Amino acid sequence: MKHLIRSGISFAVIAMWALSSNAPAEDFVDLDDLMEMDELLDDDGTVARGGSAEIADPLKGLNRAIFGFNDSVYKNVFQPFTRQYVRVVPKEARKGVGNFFNNLEYPVRLTGNLLQFRFGRASQETGKFFINTTAGMAGFMNAAQEFEGLQPPREDIGQAFGAWGIKHGFYFVLPFLGPTSLRDFVGRFGGNYVDPISEPWTQVDDSTDRLILTAVDTVKDLPEIIDVYNSITGSAIDPYTAVRDGYAQLRAAQVAE
Amino acid sequence: MNSFSFRSIFAAMLLSVVLLPNLRSNDLDETKVALESTLNQLLDVLHANHRTAPYSVKKDQIIGILNQQFSFDVIIQRSLGRNWNKLNDSQKDQVYALITDLVLQSYTRELQDGPRPQLTFYEPKVITSSKIEIESLVLLNESKINISYRMANIKDRGWQVYDVLVEGVSMVSNYRKQFDEHFLKKSASELIDLLKSKLKGA
Repeated sequence: MKHLIRSGISFAVIAMWALSSNAPAEDFVDLDDLMEMDELLDDDGTVARGGSAEIADPLKGLNRAIFGFNDSVYKNVFQPFTRQYVRVVPKEARKGVGNFFNNLEYPVRLTGNLLQFRFGRASQETGKFFINTTAGMAGFMNAAQEFEGLQPPREDIGQAFGAWGIKHGFYFVLPFLGPTSLRDFVGRFGGNYVDPISEPWTQVDDSTDRLILTAVDTVKDLPEIIDVYNSITGSAIDPYTAVRDGYAQLRAAQVAE
Repeated sequence: MNSFSFRSIFAAMLLSVVLLPNLRSNDLDETKVALESTLNQLLDVLHANHRTAPYSVKKDQIIGILNQQFSFDVIIQRSLGRNWNKLNDSQKDQVYALITDLVLQSYTRELQDGPRPQLTFYEPKVITSSKIEIESLVLLNESKINISYRMANIKDRGWQVYDVLVEGVSMVSNYRKQFDEHFLKKSASELIDLLKSKLKGA
């Protein structure tokens, strides 16, 4: 009997210890505490994703003006154009063109990975490029999508700068192109050096061909850009701030990835 | 300690190691399944007669489904942060109703246009003892979108969504920035006017 009691107590002590260290379902947040939390994400230790992304905006007045100009261009020019583009160009053709240009951006993604010493992802990018260029008929088909191990997250040079600890500097809005930061703009400029279409080290000699390729490359992204833009601004109280914060959070998440 | 009690303690430890983490894991799995079910119910409603029945017709049904797992009062109050106290009780009620409408109207429209999105949910990640994050992948028109649901185990409510992250962008944080910007120069009544005009134009 004594043994039985002793072992019963032992069981209870161990079970209580296990329960207290392993049972998140038993812990509750008080509703008022959750409502009153002013620091959004620091409370749960997940500062890397969202919330903590800050970006200086010393040119806010000018940026808002350019944002207004872009908004007008997107709604009055790009959106109607995109509707026609989607209506006239068959889905498969759009997809093929998108795949082709994505494949050409391989050097930029590779550089972004190498600058972060992410050799595994760099080799995944290389494998993807090799398969898409050969089996995917010069990149028009995304043959590599069949391989789960060849789906690395997209990297660019601005992200690499972020991974090195370089901050945004400040936020600014480019006419037509939209949001960026000093850091990411420099990264984009650096990307031009490894991009096969852009100057200075272009692989396309004829300037007219280069212009056409650049235009097609831009147009192919428009449907998605317009969708995302409408999605953010449609439900926004202040579209400018929504886009600026969305940009800062997105880049922070990409750098942390 | 004799062999009997030693055996009992060993058995108890084994039980605690094997059984208790399973209880925890089951609890989280149930939460994930419930969230998945809520969102699938939402898609069922959105894709039933989606061309003929607008949001206004389905509004009560949509809110009823989402209320099972989404605490809109928490989401909205956290979005407003310290600005919440700048509203009087009547304004709080109005802002709550208007923002709920604006956000749901905007996002449900995206989800119901085109083919039904495919949802894949991943294993919940424990953030703290009372908070988890469930990541999901939405396949919509051949685009892959990562959506994460932050959930808290709220007293008397159970596991409830208190923030949604789209591609790593926190909805609550994004709205907080917008409200902070608004209240720098504008008032609560201007916010209500703005929300009303946005809903009219939506």
